[in-house]
Amino acid sequence: MSRFRPDLSDEPAVRLDSVSLTYDRTGEVLSEIDLVLRQGSFTFLTGPSGAGKSSLLKLMYLAHAPTRGNIRLFGRQTYDMKRKQLAAIRRRIGVVFQEFRLLDHLTAFENVALPLRVDGQKIDAYSNEVIDLLRWVGLGERVDAPIPSLSGGEQQRVAIARALINKPDLLIADEPTGNVDPEMGRKIMRLFAELNKRVGTTILIATHDLELLREFDSPVLRLSNGLLVRDVEYGAST
Amino acid sequence: MSRRDSPLLPASDAREAALFFVIGALCFLAALAALTTRGTYKAAEAWGAQIEGDITVIMRDTDRRTAEDAADRVSGLASVFEARILSREEVETLLEPSLGPGGMPDGLPVPMLMVVQADPSLGDPSPNIERILNEVGVDGDVAGNAGYADNVRSALGVLRLVALCIVALLSATAIAVIAFATHAALLARRDIVDVLHLSGAEDRYIASLFERRFWVLALQAGLGGAVAALMITALIVFSGGGANSVETQLLPRLSLDFWDIVILLVTPVMAGLAARIAARLTVLASLKDTL
Repeated sequence: MSRFRPDLSDEPAVRLDSVSLTYDRTGEVLSEIDLVLRQGSFTFLTGPSGAGKSSLLKLMYLAHAPTRGNIRLFGRQTYDMKRKQLAAIRRRIGVVFQEFRLLDHLTAFENVALPLRVDGQKIDAYSNEVIDLLRWVGLGERVDAPIPSLSGGEQQRVAIARALINKPDLLIADEPTGNVDPEMGRKIMRLFAELNKRVGTTILIATHDLELLREFDSPVLRLSNGLLVRDVEYGAST
Repeated sequence: MSRRDSPLLPASDAREAALFFVIGALCFLAALAALTTRGTYKAAEAWGAQIEGDITVIMRDTDRRTAEDAADRVSGLASVFEARILSREEVETLLEPSLGPGGMPDGLPVPMLMVVQADPSLGDPSPNIERILNEVGVDGDVAGNAGYADNVRSALGVLRLVALCIVALLSATAIAVIAFATHAALLARRDIVDVLHLSGAEDRYIASLFERRFWVLALQAGLGGAVAALMITALIVFSGGGANSVETQLLPRLSLDFWDIVILLVTPVMAGLAARIAARLTVLASLKDTL
């Protein structure tokens, strides 16, 4: 947890300018979104189901291109990036998917190690680190377990460990505590907070969990009918 | 505990087993078609050369001794492999279809027949044979096949073209089916492509995983098909199916020479390349739809 990127300090980690997203079948799901996530910020994103939270996150972790508007990540315009550069940017983003997206034919260890392997690192170099992280999320005894043998909560913890393993500059989590018990949920959130404070990782968490919003004094953004507003009921006022 | 990287792609499943079978069967058919075409080529070459090189000389009102003297002199021509006078028994056998078994009367005057086998590539020896007949004082007709050799040649040319077209069509079909089946098998792995893509893997990295996988699969399946074709060919060759009997002269002459082995080795490589290229194009096309 020691990577430091001084070049990021002046630019927001994420900047969306008038971003809209339209799907062929459902029409416009995001409309004229303006958003800035400063480097080192910790932000919640909330809103009713179908409001477009997951779609907004997908734009940020570069799964989709916006229909209109500009996205800048780490100070760089993304629309004119070459595919190789986009891949490099993705390696700086950790994502906890709502549906986990784990590879069933790999073990917990191998799933967590995937971002490092894709980055060209050797197994001897990261083996202990992966095991430590799995221990930390409470899966020390399930390191070599195949994914189908894990419960939903365990799979979610594997997904979280995979998002954290390469110490991302930006962590995007879609309902990261949705399938774990409250105690593990708090533990995961404390890890996120620790990452944010100690390493300066920018964190954006989409959640329905109102208790989390109350507990963490962080800005809360609310998506409603494709529009983004700052929520004044929960979170920090700044 | 020392750990080792396990494959990022899952072990083969039922879909890939079906793909393996399809590729193996197509390679078997393609290899067998190519070997048969080559055999047809060789049979056509041999048959054409034989027709063009066979000459029959009918000698009238002469005795056997003079006829054999003429045959000796014809044998000495540069383009002639062999010239000999047919025995009475051989002539009777030739006439049997017309006169029936033992149907030739004892007193029937039978002309002397000289069969000449020549090398057509060295030119038509008929004028020289006629000159020798004149020199030994024999009244005879030289009946070569040159008159209809052109027709035979063009018929053999059509036969070769048809055989080549069949091989080309079968090979193209095999490659297309392999590419299509690879594409279908790969689409079932779309989830893996997405996870690797969102984990920051470059397109080339993802494509290379699938390329390697389908290259090896198609190579193994193609090798299986080629080995099956080799066994069938060997069975035909060693059971005498390729024998050069009168009845089988026009059938493909299967063999197992150097070029046949080359065909058998090239077949799985072609299948592997088709699968590899299809895998690469499919992955890159599916990634093109993403950011």
